[in-house]
Amino acid sequence: MSESYDVVVVGGGLLGCLTAWMAARDGARVLLVDKDQVNQHASGQNAGSLHFQLEYRMVEAGEEAARVAAEAMPLHLDAAAMWARLEEEIGESLGVRQTGGLMVAENADQVGMLEFKAELERSWGLDVRTLDRSELDTVAPYLSRDIVAANLSALEGKADARIAAPAVARAAVAAGAAVCARTRLTGASHTPTGWDVTLRETDRTGEVRTRTVRTAAVVIAAGVWTTELGQVFGAGLPTVPLALTMTVTSKVPAFIPHLVQHAGARLSLKQSLDKTVLIGGGWPARLMRDADGAPEFDRKHQLIPRSIAGNARAAVNAVPSLERVPAVRSWVGTTTVAPDQLPLVGAVKGAPGVFVATGGSAFTLGPSFARVLTGLLAGRSPDIDLAPYDPARFTEGSTP
Amino acid sequence: MGRTGTDHNAIGQAGTEHNVVGHGTGQAGMFDLAVVGAGPAGMAAALTAADHGLKVVVVDEQQRAGGQIFRQPPEEFTGSVLRPTAGYGWATGLIRRFEADERLTTEFGWSAIGVLYDDALPGGLCLAVNHPQDGTRVIGARRLLIATGAYDLPVAFPGWTLPGVMTAGAVQTLVKAQKIAPVGDVVLAGAHPLLLLVADLLVREGVRVSEVAFAQNIPKPADLLHALGAVPGHVRMLAETGGILARLVRNGVRVSSRTVVTAARGEEHVARVELARVDRRWKVTGTPRAVDASHLVLGYGFSASTELARQIGCDLVYDSPKGGWVVSHDDRLRTSVPGVFVAGEPTGVAGADQSRAEGELAALAIAADLGRDVSATALAEAERGIRTATRFSTVVQRMFEPAREALGDLAGRDTTVCRCETVTRGTLDDFLEASPFVSDVNAVKLSCRTGMGPCQGRYCEGSVGTILASAREQPIGLGGRFSAHLPIKPVPVGDLRTLDSFLDAPPDAPPDGPGGDGSGAVDG
Ligand SMILES: Cc1cc2nc3c(=O)[nH]c(=O)nc-3n(C[C@H](O)[C@H](O)[C@H](O)COP(=O)(O)OP(=O)(O)OC[C@H]3O[C@@H](n4cnc5c(N)ncnc54)[C@H](O)[C@@H]3O)c2cc1C
Ligand SMILES: Cc1cc2nc3c(=O)[nH]c(=O)nc-3n(C[C@H](O)[C@H](O)[C@H](O)COP(=O)(O)OP(=O)(O)OC[C@H]3O[C@@H](n4cnc5c(N)ncnc54)[C@H](O)[C@@H]3O)c2cc1C
Repeated sequence: MSESYDVVVVGGGLLGCLTAWMAARDGARVLLVDKDQVNQHASGQNAGSLHFQLEYRMVEAGEEAARVAAEAMPLHLDAAAMWARLEEEIGESLGVRQTGGLMVAENADQVGMLEFKAELERSWGLDVRTLDRSELDTVAPYLSRDIVAANLSALEGKADARIAAPAVARAAVAAGAAVCARTRLTGASHTPTGWDVTLRETDRTGEVRTRTVRTAAVVIAAGVWTTELGQVFGAGLPTVPLALTMTVTSKVPAFIPHLVQHAGARLSLKQSLDKTVLIGGGWPARLMRDADGAPEFDRKHQLIPRSIAGNARAAVNAVPSLERVPAVRSWVGTTTVAPDQLPLVGAVKGAPGVFVATGGSAFTLGPSFARVLTGLLAGRSPDIDLAPYDPARFTEGSTP
Repeated sequence: MGRTGTDHNAIGQAGTEHNVVGHGTGQAGMFDLAVVGAGPAGMAAALTAADHGLKVVVVDEQQRAGGQIFRQPPEEFTGSVLRPTAGYGWATGLIRRFEADERLTTEFGWSAIGVLYDDALPGGLCLAVNHPQDGTRVIGARRLLIATGAYDLPVAFPGWTLPGVMTAGAVQTLVKAQKIAPVGDVVLAGAHPLLLLVADLLVREGVRVSEVAFAQNIPKPADLLHALGAVPGHVRMLAETGGILARLVRNGVRVSSRTVVTAARGEEHVARVELARVDRRWKVTGTPRAVDASHLVLGYGFSASTELARQIGCDLVYDSPKGGWVVSHDDRLRTSVPGVFVAGEPTGVAGADQSRAEGELAALAIAADLGRDVSATALAEAERGIRTATRFSTVVQRMFEPAREALGDLAGRDTTVCRCETVTRGTLDDFLEASPFVSDVNAVKLSCRTGMGPCQGRYCEGSVGTILASAREQPIGLGGRFSAHLPIKPVPVGDLRTLDSFLDAPPDAPPDGPGGDGSGAVDG
């Protein structure tokens, strides 16, 4: 076998790129493969929110669910610190601004939710402060008068999902990693020293070729394809796929410095450094499935009228001046969550040398996932307790 | 605004009225067929579909029917009678029949901005439409026909974004529909026979045309005969082709061959253009010469208008002679997306005859699909029409295929490639050098913003594609094509709030409507 690596990273999203970069910096011989191009899936399609407060999707199911979701806070705090220095380490702009995030409320119920959340978050060490209406007048004059209060987390903000992963991929290349697009990992067999993985690649003439490379370790950073890759390595990695809607406007003079989320509605919005406003918040799209109901992630998923309309209504309700701003495109992205809203991070049970991370806000959490994975690859013991994120927690007992 | 055969309101007056209902519109509110585009393809399709009892709505962002080739002056120009375009004798009749047809619902001034899907419309799709004043609505339909035509192929070279640089199609439209012509010395440059027609049109309007520059050898009269038969003009005009050339020369117009425009210069407006000799593959060989000009009219050919097809997720195939990326379809004009059909230029730029023939065949296929009786003779006739038209159009397509690689080379480092986002060639080159792992135009788009603006990339896809292909030494087709997204033309965020308001079809459904039968199901 001519080609061998210390680690093959599967997936050129933000997570894969960060992991390849960090492992290469550690001195590992790294190959990153993506079946398409770098940053063409969730990492390049998401809202770019760096959110550390509990999101609406985590609190809408009640206080108990919120308490479970809060167990990811150590990862969030780690990520907040990492994002603050990432651009300097990468040596390029990633569009990062941690200028604060507001979770807004329009009525007493929502204010009650803010209070509950703030207390829970503080108990995990996240600094949040509730602003009343008069404070909002000065801090966020762009918000609708219907907003009565908001929780502010000073660490929150945004990064630019458009440019982040490719910039990190360039840093990975500079650190010595090999990055191959149009290269799909299709098979793997266990060897005494690790894995032989089969790669199917399309060359520059359009020809498809297959090669096998030898590697000591494998990192699955494959987003919605995680479950499929788990199967390649004989492991159960259950994830729940979601198809979500985003809308972006044309450029308008900067007027929204914060990440804005809503305590009682699906809404996230922010203005990128390009001056476009990104509107999202978890509105569903139609995930394409085959006749048996299995998701088909390589197809184009479908927009739903109610979601676009509902998201636009929520955005204009919160920030009325958006009404006349031209929307230039709405799209669908796919991502994974786990049933308990916590990520899967760690070693893959039953597949020695294989590691995985996915689930939830994996853009925000990408840096801490990558740091944890790189540590595991190098045999360092993790400084964050990974037990709540054990990838095997849903399959325990059910695996033979 | 909107017109329908019944008294039922059309979207134009919709606002909050009874015809606009919230989501939940049932099958009864659906049209059988929504047609986007009222050019030859869309008009022919709509009439044929109505003849087979289908409830049809036609959406076109223009104010009147006709499409690009038969663009009519606005109705306010009362004096203007529809002049038959010689050679397309059928055109006048088609437009008249279309405009008079009581069975059709037509929505002019409305842009189709995309297709969505709603569980409340099983077996149907939701066509989202927007009007600058009246906002956004969705139209439920069992089938969709994309008949969105073509637009001028844009080419980026130094100065191409200066005021005074125009496309042949745009000039033709200005003169034909708005009755406005440029003032000053005009140079026309490109490779398409439409250039000759536009030059002739301008000369006849009294405009001073100083030069018409063709990138290839000047087409011989016999070539032109073929060419004009399939694309611009008409049969009677074919005989006049030689006449056009003679008339241009008589009017002091220099007609040069193997000549490409390499730059447009001027402070705030074109003042001068540079023309250079090129070899057979259009690569510049000589030093450019400067020619004074107040306007530069470009005519390198056409690109199929495929944004809607892309937004829906239809497969496209790269076919340079046919106009670049064109929509894939089967022999009944079905696209890869269930329920979505295509006709006319989006299948390949092939001229009005072929567009009309494809419109007819698509409508017959759709009618059959929805369970209507379609005679074998009608199908055979429509197919024969397409075969006849194709014989001409393939000749033209091959003869006038642009040398895209050479055109891509015209952009210098400082040349703006993407006008919407003002991205230069230099930015692209630097990015490609720094990011060896990038080999697809959408990856370039995401990082560099080329193609991310309001035009959805139609202006820069060609340039980005050729620049990427030469940087990676890969075929243009392998670099892929820009994806397009709803809204394919920008609309205010506020307008998206009514994207779940449906326009209902007229209630008097034909008695043999398919209702909920399985054959009508769109989504698999
Ligand atoms: C609309 C939307 C909005 C979101 N907003 C936010 C937000 O604001 N903040 C936040 O923190 N998170 C957000 N998320 C979630 C976030 O985008 C994802 O969690 C994150 O980007 C996942 O990154 P990743 O690198 O793990 O996966 P991806 O970016 O999906 O990358 C996985 C890659 O693996 C490749 N791959 C898969 N299988 C193979 C194979 N067999 N061989 C080779 N390559 C393979 C794929 O081609 C893909 O490029 C959002 C998600 C969506 C969809
Ligand atoms: C500017 C221009 C000038 C041309 N001049 C000639 C000529 O003189 N002679 C000639 O033979 N050929 C000419 N052509 C080629 C011409 O396009 C075809 O011959 C013929 O018009 C094609 O018919 P069609 O029905 O396929 O498309 P078209 O006639 O182009 O009709 C498409 C229609 O779709 C509408 N449309 C497109 N997108 C949307 C949307 N999203 N929402 C709503 N409506 C939409 C357009 O407004 C247009 O009316 C010209 C093309 C262009 C672009």
